[in-house]
Amino acid sequence: MTIDVPDNQPPMPLSPNEGTTRRIAVHGIMILLSALSIFPIYWMIVTSLRPENEIFSTLPWPSNPSLENYVFVLTRIPMLQMLVNTTIVATATAALQVLTGLLTAYALVRWRMRLAGLVHGLIALSWLVPFQVTMIPNYVLASRLGLLDTLTGLVVPNAVAAFAILLLYHSMRSFPTEILEAARIDGAKSWRILWQIVTPNMGAPIASLAIIAFISAWNEYFWPLLLSRKPENSVVQIGLQMFMTQEGNLWGPLMAAAALASLPILVIYLILQRHVIESFMKSGIR
Amino acid sequence: MLRRTTLKLMATLASVAMTPLGALAEMPAAIDKPVTISFYNYNLASASAGADATRELLAMFEKKFPNIKVETIAVPSNEIMSRVQADIVAGRQPDVAQLVFRDLIYIASDLGANALEDMVNPEELKAHLTGMIPQGLELGKVDGKTYGLAYTFSTPILYYNADLFKQAGLDPDNPPKTWTDVDAAGRAIKEKAGKNGFFPGAYGPVDGTFVYQAIVMSNGGKVRDGNKLTFADTNAADAVKMLRGMVESGAHAKIDVASPSDTFAAGNLGMFLYTSAVYGSYKKAAKDKFDLRMAPMPSFGEKPTAPTNSGSALYVFSKDPEKQRAAYELLKFLTSKEAYTVITSKIGYLPLRLDIVDDPNYLASWVKENPMFRANLKQLDHLTPNIAFPGPNYRQVEKMMMDSVREAVFGTGDPSAVLTAAQDEGQSLMP
Repeated sequence: MTIDVPDNQPPMPLSPNEGTTRRIAVHGIMILLSALSIFPIYWMIVTSLRPENEIFSTLPWPSNPSLENYVFVLTRIPMLQMLVNTTIVATATAALQVLTGLLTAYALVRWRMRLAGLVHGLIALSWLVPFQVTMIPNYVLASRLGLLDTLTGLVVPNAVAAFAILLLYHSMRSFPTEILEAARIDGAKSWRILWQIVTPNMGAPIASLAIIAFISAWNEYFWPLLLSRKPENSVVQIGLQMFMTQEGNLWGPLMAAAALASLPILVIYLILQRHVIESFMKSGIR
Repeated sequence: MLRRTTLKLMATLASVAMTPLGALAEMPAAIDKPVTISFYNYNLASASAGADATRELLAMFEKKFPNIKVETIAVPSNEIMSRVQADIVAGRQPDVAQLVFRDLIYIASDLGANALEDMVNPEELKAHLTGMIPQGLELGKVDGKTYGLAYTFSTPILYYNADLFKQAGLDPDNPPKTWTDVDAAGRAIKEKAGKNGFFPGAYGPVDGTFVYQAIVMSNGGKVRDGNKLTFADTNAADAVKMLRGMVESGAHAKIDVASPSDTFAAGNLGMFLYTSAVYGSYKKAAKDKFDLRMAPMPSFGEKPTAPTNSGSALYVFSKDPEKQRAAYELLKFLTSKEAYTVITSKIGYLPLRLDIVDDPNYLASWVKENPMFRANLKQLDHLTPNIAFPGPNYRQVEKMMMDSVREAVFGTGDPSAVLTAAQDEGQSLMP
């Protein structure tokens, strides 16, 4: 027996009850997934409010919530200084990566150079080299330049990033050539074209890059670990490690420090929510 | 691994290039002009009591030696070796470093640490070492010379939750003395109290090998003999089989190997064999929650136990005689009676000088307030040095050994076969 199925048959409309059920199911799943995502943040905050002998309690809320762990963090390590250092390092790194990315991408896309393809290929290949391989040569160089234990030393090796160049290179390639030709006919040179025509029209990719570079620099651990010699010259990720000790982990202060360290990123996310999501969607999660 | 290999290669080349041939130049008898020395320290890279105690000690030292300035470099313990190597490569020779015992042979043979016997006048050295327990001094020796002077160190101790003992119908005043007792108590806790029985802090990524080696050596085994690996030999394998037997009986918990310490602190584990250094942390976690107690590590029947050491030693790398004198003064101070009083009472590590324990000028009042600490002190009589591995691949060999121990204890294969396979493979990486 065969069943004839007519072509191009419109989907059968859902009955009001079926539509409601489906919506409830979809929303139910989304609420569950949201709860799963938010739970670690909630638990971090709750744990940060627990006294030391309640750290391992499974109660959803501390019986005697207190800010003791936050006071401990702020008095035992230079947390505020570390937050300021991290903000400076992340902002400078993001700004420099955008700047160097724009200059390099413009040169590769708009200038006719011999071996431009090779240069592009080498930059792309350098992206594949793990940080651990360049870490020691970079450290030796930073030591010779007197950059150990300085914020400049934390920024300089990350001022140019292959990822930044490649992201802007591809955005710049899709920039309409006609506009650039028109500007050139009007007598504009490369410098003016880059800053007055190209850059103002590349807001979205520049914002994406800046956000990703900032978050990446904020979360950087290994390079500051190697370069810093004193806690007050270091960054917040190193501060978190200070609560994991040979004499046991200090979970309460660690959670309080983690909450403080994630606050600025959370604020950025709340303000630039749409841009952050777009950045990660376009470039893949780094 | 690549980073470590690169580091080792570069550090070896640098240390060879920088180490003068022949005997070290004689250091002056005293410091009569200002000298600055670097001190790589992992306690300072934490926010724990260890950092406070270290700062206190350094302040005391600088007050006593106003000409010596100590520049501290704070690095977490799991990264401090890489930092010392990187700085040697970068030409920044460390003067003094606090490093863990597992790296002892590599530090002595490849990083160019100074043997105290080569650096210090024999009589002066003898005068300082007098009064320190000989077993403690053995910990930092390679080929009979002292490269590391034991500083903050501890031994495995059996922590137990007396409340769970009571719930399981056990007598908390009579803690397990042998592994047979641990097996029985572990099963009782599991069956009657519904909690995890026993676990050793021996399998996790940051546990090192000292708890495992203490168990093995308590059964007459050893992990290596010269350059030959022996962790699959009968006595060593039997110790692992004992642990496997407890896993099968239900006495040995099957929990995340990375966090048994938290399970114990949360009150969900009856007995935990681990470093005495975490006592302070458990004391706070257990306050008003459960009755925390300590006992010496269990034995194999009548055999004496062989508690090994965790913790760190102090190493001198200075090549300049003035700095060597300053570094040695720092070493002397940090292993003095005054310093061990601070180290024991404020961090919880063992004193290398036992005469201070009952001396009212030093630790007597503290030990009286913390009587449980005596269980730890008792073990010092038979302290057995932890065995480090030689050669440039020492960490890989150590990892292969510990991977096989985990597989032998928690897996389904024959423990002896698992250990033998790893031993054969690891032997090819030995010098």
